[in-house]
Amino acid sequence: MTNPAISPALAVAVPLLSAAVLAAVRKWLTRTAMDLLGLLASLATLAITGVLLYGAVVHGASVYWLGGWWPRGSVAIGIAMVIEPIGVSLAMLAALLTSLSLLFSWRFMDAGGKHLHPLMLIFLAAMCGFSLTGDLFNLFVFFELMSIAAFALCGLKTAEPAPLQGSFNFAITNSVAGFVVLTGIALLYAVTGALNMAQIGLSIGHRHDPLVLFACTLIFCGFLTKAAIVPFHLWLPDAHAVAPTPVCVLFSGLMVELGLYAVARIYSAIFAQSFSPHTQALHNLLFAFAATTVLLAGFMCYAEHHLKRMLAFSTVCHAGLMLAALASGGALGLAAMLTYLVAHAFVKGGLFFLSGVLLHNQRSITERELFAKGRGLPWAAALWILGAVGLAAAPPFALLLGEAAAEHAAELHHLEGLSALFVIGGALTSAAVLRVGMHTFFGWGEGALTDRSAEIGELPETTPEDRKLRPYHLIPPALCMLLAIALFADPHWLRILRDAAAAMASQAAYLHTTYTGQNVPLTQSSWREAIPGAVARSILALVLGLLVALSSVFRNTLPRKLRLGAFLERGFRPLREMQSGHPGDYVLWMTMGIAAFGSAAMLLLRR
Amino acid sequence: MPGILHSLPYFVAGWLLLCGLYGLVTSKHLVHAVVCLAILQSSTYMLLLAIGYRVGGAAPIFADISTSKLVVDPVVQALMLTDIVVEAVVVALLLAMVVKAHEKSGSVSPNDLRTLRG
Repeated sequence: MTNPAISPALAVAVPLLSAAVLAAVRKWLTRTAMDLLGLLASLATLAITGVLLYGAVVHGASVYWLGGWWPRGSVAIGIAMVIEPIGVSLAMLAALLTSLSLLFSWRFMDAGGKHLHPLMLIFLAAMCGFSLTGDLFNLFVFFELMSIAAFALCGLKTAEPAPLQGSFNFAITNSVAGFVVLTGIALLYAVTGALNMAQIGLSIGHRHDPLVLFACTLIFCGFLTKAAIVPFHLWLPDAHAVAPTPVCVLFSGLMVELGLYAVARIYSAIFAQSFSPHTQALHNLLFAFAATTVLLAGFMCYAEHHLKRMLAFSTVCHAGLMLAALASGGALGLAAMLTYLVAHAFVKGGLFFLSGVLLHNQRSITERELFAKGRGLPWAAALWILGAVGLAAAPPFALLLGEAAAEHAAELHHLEGLSALFVIGGALTSAAVLRVGMHTFFGWGEGALTDRSAEIGELPETTPEDRKLRPYHLIPPALCMLLAIALFADPHWLRILRDAAAAMASQAAYLHTTYTGQNVPLTQSSWREAIPGAVARSILALVLGLLVALSSVFRNTLPRKLRLGAFLERGFRPLREMQSGHPGDYVLWMTMGIAAFGSAAMLLLRR
Repeated sequence: MPGILHSLPYFVAGWLLLCGLYGLVTSKHLVHAVVCLAILQSSTYMLLLAIGYRVGGAAPIFADISTSKLVVDPVVQALMLTDIVVEAVVVALLLAMVVKAHEKSGSVSPNDLRTLRG
């Protein structure tokens, strides 16, 4: 039995304890000292997860039982942390994004003052715990810890009314989601008497009855709320549009996607065998939800003129694409989702950093007000356009590899329409980002359109006398884009992720690893042959996006019939009305979503 | 009769869940919405206790009873305690937000909280 080189509990304990210490002594520390200590704690977490990842890749997966409570027979008494490459990579990604965010907020970020650092570190601890745990109840606890830290972070800017709205809606919907998940976990405990994921999976086995299906519906819908899948997504644009920039990066880059990770982990560890006769039906169901998400969020994204709100809808759209990748099936679909997830985190994080740069430098976040204001920012312009290319999953960004894998998997499992979804989603989101880039950085066209949310805008996050751009404002977005490109250039990591995804997708391998602490070497073939097709489709998406953006920017010189961009920009009234800003409406949509998912599951997955 | 008595807690849990959801959806007052969330969460307490209950079981403290005696499940009680802690934090945070909202806008209606829409 191999033990990890250092205790994985440190990945949770270090940020959590530093948060407590920082919160206790914050009154006596200067802002610079807070920044420095927060960054140090986050970098220490990055180092710990780095060592864990090295161990998991070189020596294979291992299991750490807290307090040395080993399982007796098949009964897991203690709480396990499963150290396998995928969970650890996500924890490491969390630490990396947190470090970059803290670097970005260095000294000048006004919002939240000294509350920002402890909350960010608690958030980091929860994300690390969430990715590493092998225990279903612990997953819920870290889910709640992550949510509570996120509610507080989201409402940090109390000088405006909008953050209160965003944070309140976020808190209500995600708490309801948390309790729905807990109800599902309680039902599974009633069925199996276990909380360890491997043991639950073992004792459910092939059992397939309405109770298991009900529990599965509740758990999936709860985590899909965090993953912002339509109709559970309504909280996300409200919350992301108002959170401070460094927080947005963490929300969009990783928190949302962790919901999808939880769905994938729970499906493969617990329900894989139970649903094995109905795998295709379940994939079709998830794909239907994903397709709705991509279409709705894609059109909403293009209709927004508040930069952060636009990027938030783009995150919903890409979460839909990731769910579609997962629904394309098997280990290959899982590998596709994870590749896309990691690359998307960097691209979206970079774009949010750049919107923060504009808010800092130009004191506005509205496309209309920013018109031609970005002409003096060549670096930000270059990075912004790169981000648009990345969102279309065009080369040289690693999102392309994820798209290729998803298309390959869809072809193998005879799932129609996935490539079209990737083209539409990529085209609409990159079109929106390109349109903002043309207006803001190039000053093309005659001013931007606007909408109701954009006119409310956002107060600047930094002190007013200082508008200078410093290296630490541009280093985080540049590093993000660079990493997304570097992941494309170096295929070495892809082999590791591919095999790790194969191990994660196999329930037997997960059970074996949890109970014996030994690695099960599994390999998966490459999807290299699918890359040329994906390149062609992603370039098609980029060109379509460019055309739509151009038709929007030069709308007045175009004949009336060709003004597609301006038409899309006005948005569709029912879709806008859905985003009503009322927490009751959001809970109603969630309830209907759970009912729809549950009844579809009952119909499609009955024996 | 015992069958109905055994399933009663589950019905109560389901009823509380629906009450909480209905209250949240129709809420016209922010404090009312927070309390409805608390009611929604009470359904999880009820469910957890119902799952762990054993007829004739003693409290799971083996200091004064023999280890072979039937006891109720202590795991769900631990889960419920964690659940209560979570609720306390969520409710406190939400109420603080309501206070802030009242300071800012002088209103406690979710309709007046809405600024960003569409």
